[in-house]
Amino acid sequence: MQSRRLVSVAVALALVASGASGAERVRVVTTIPDLKSLTEAVGGDLVDVESLTRGTQNLHEAEVRPSMMLKLRRADLLIENGLDLDRWVDVAVQGANNGTIIRGAPGRIEISRDVPLLEVPSARVDRSMGDVHPLGNPHFSLDPGLAPVITQNIVDGLVRVAPPHRATFERNRQAFLARLDGEMAKWTKTMEPLRGAKVAVFHPVYIYFLTRFGLVQIGALEDRPGIPPSPAHVARLIQLMKQEKVKALLVEPWNDRKLAERVAQEAGAKALVMATAVGAVKGADTYIATIEYNIRTLAEALR
Amino acid sequence: MRKAFRPGIMVLLATLASWTFASPARAQEAEALRRELEQMRKQVEALSERLRRLEAQPPPAAPVAAPTPAAGAQPQSVAMQAPTPTPGAPSSAPSVMDLVRPRQPFALYQQRGAGQLLFDMGITGDFIGNVTQRNVDKAGAGTFRGRENRFFPREVELNLFGQIDPYARGEVRIESGEEARGQETGVSLAEAHLTLLTLPFNTQLKIGQMRARYGWSNQLHDEAMPWPDRPGVYRYFFGEEGLSEKGFEATWVPGLPFYLEVLGGLFNGDNETAFGRGRISEPLVTGRVRAFFDLTDEHALQIGASVVSGLTSERQRHTLPGFDVRYKYRPDGWLHPLLTLGGEGIWSLRRREVTRDVVVSEDPLETLAVGNHRTFTRFGWYTYAELQPFRRWAGGVRYDYTELPDRGREWALEPYVSFRPSEFLRFRAGYKLTERSQDNGFSANGASARHVDELFFQATFVLGAHPAHPF
Repeated sequence: MQSRRLVSVAVALALVASGASGAERVRVVTTIPDLKSLTEAVGGDLVDVESLTRGTQNLHEAEVRPSMMLKLRRADLLIENGLDLDRWVDVAVQGANNGTIIRGAPGRIEISRDVPLLEVPSARVDRSMGDVHPLGNPHFSLDPGLAPVITQNIVDGLVRVAPPHRATFERNRQAFLARLDGEMAKWTKTMEPLRGAKVAVFHPVYIYFLTRFGLVQIGALEDRPGIPPSPAHVARLIQLMKQEKVKALLVEPWNDRKLAERVAQEAGAKALVMATAVGAVKGADTYIATIEYNIRTLAEALR
Repeated sequence: MRKAFRPGIMVLLATLASWTFASPARAQEAEALRRELEQMRKQVEALSERLRRLEAQPPPAAPVAAPTPAAGAQPQSVAMQAPTPTPGAPSSAPSVMDLVRPRQPFALYQQRGAGQLLFDMGITGDFIGNVTQRNVDKAGAGTFRGRENRFFPREVELNLFGQIDPYARGEVRIESGEEARGQETGVSLAEAHLTLLTLPFNTQLKIGQMRARYGWSNQLHDEAMPWPDRPGVYRYFFGEEGLSEKGFEATWVPGLPFYLEVLGGLFNGDNETAFGRGRISEPLVTGRVRAFFDLTDEHALQIGASVVSGLTSERQRHTLPGFDVRYKYRPDGWLHPLLTLGGEGIWSLRRREVTRDVVVSEDPLETLAVGNHRTFTRFGWYTYAELQPFRRWAGGVRYDYTELPDRGREWALEPYVSFRPSEFLRFRAGYKLTERSQDNGFSANGASARHVDELFFQATFVLGAHPAHPF
């Protein structure tokens, strides 16, 4: 009796281990939550999407946990942002023992393909410049105007692993872009009176978003990317913000809020916590809601 | 009454007449509209067909040039942004043969600058300063034996790592460091291995010279440890370098609801402190099971059990089972963990010859010597806690307890503090109090070291890339 029970447990474990779930949905893992939201929009009911990070995390410095490896172990497709934002995923992939998603395999795509990049260094870079991205600023997903490129890459990636569903993915993408187009018209109208307004940032995350809506970034609170500011740099920035009549300092949820508020107060501006990704702040649960949050926050402060 | 009706009847007749004469004109208009719609439909179809043809073309060879960032640029409708689509390579459901066969390479998407290397390269430098009592220095019985009261490069390492081809990844580490006072700094091969990544059934195979994945901290190079020195249990059971071997390691990650990694390894058994047989024909065998649980988004727990068994140079069996636990608390939105707790315990079960009997046979010229053996059991463990309330500052304390391989035991308490100006630079200072139950093995040159006070200073830098370390 006991041996029979042991056999059934062993069979059950073997079934689980072999991944015999019977589900036919494409299992997609994304490195950042923005890509999860966009993949869900494109994949619809045909995909199960998980993100390795949450919006409240600094996406540059995600801690590689074995739970990431567990998600990747089952993945049919891994969608990464690229441009060195999520290089940590290589370590997680290595521990996942899933040959389908290693670099160069069909089950892995990098979403930055064909994205017109900003802040690409034109001179030799080294670490004295801080945590600089030699391939360009990787935070392009915050620009809703780039969603067509990103979602096209997602469609291409999904088609690699589920070719029969190409038409559905395309249809879902068109429906999503139509919805986004409607929102974009509203956002553009809201931001139109603020065109040319100057802002300062804590870390250069929002350049694509600001460029899209015609705002000007005059400086960053970090001395160099990733390097905490020196008192002299803080003083210089406050002076510059006063000169340029800057009304807003854009802050990521994990930045030093006290420092940001002090600098903003001294410069006569407001420190605004902006969403850096889907789920970064309350209410930013989807891609459209995240952009909506940033537009609303910025428009209210700059008006 | 009749007069009153007459104008109404006239209006009605006029309206009817106008409808009657207007009907052919309306019909013509509707027909024209239908034709126009049909024409537009054909145009849409032609455009769709053209779009499909364009999508079927291969992507441009060079990536799209990045536009100059212009603050105040015109916002565009999302529909205006024309993506450059690339057809995906169709794939089919893998058969058993597909699983067995290595997978085909696929074009890489990753954007790279011109003149890039095809692998990553980095250098790490780890320097240690040690200050201790004169008697400890004289006896050469400090934590860094033979380097007491010195500032020295413990490990300067050149790391080369990257993808070999679509199927395998490689890693080479060449290291140099001072091993004894006044000795020339030599260069040696610390690690050189390849990992086959595309094996079937969620397995991987690592081949070469490597730090064995035994326990948690054994995998870490000196500079990556959370403390200035390796825990006592590793130093006494495996030597100052820990367990580094040449051979094979295979891992399997089964599809369970939680992360579980099962590992098995076969090595030469070159480690002189614990084994020393040095033959793959009589291999050193390792095994490890590691499970990880995300308790919540903020709390994570990893537990592991390991075993290594091999022959000593006297061909006696030495088996070391062990366990490890690690917990991290990282508040939501924090860039670093606030609290890390961890510990490892290792048993050493070693067969040794204790006496030798002389057996006299019937032949007076022949005598036989027969060894009597006993298994000696020793246990060692350590535990530590680290608190990192600020991004740049962390402080912690480690407690060690080890039963020494020959006789006696040792315990040590080591508080330390770390300062990280950036991700690539770290300074650390620590104090270590060590107490030994007797001086056997810690006496030389007329001095002994049962009670040891030591101060450590550590400076570590990373130049370029560095392979990441496990949780």
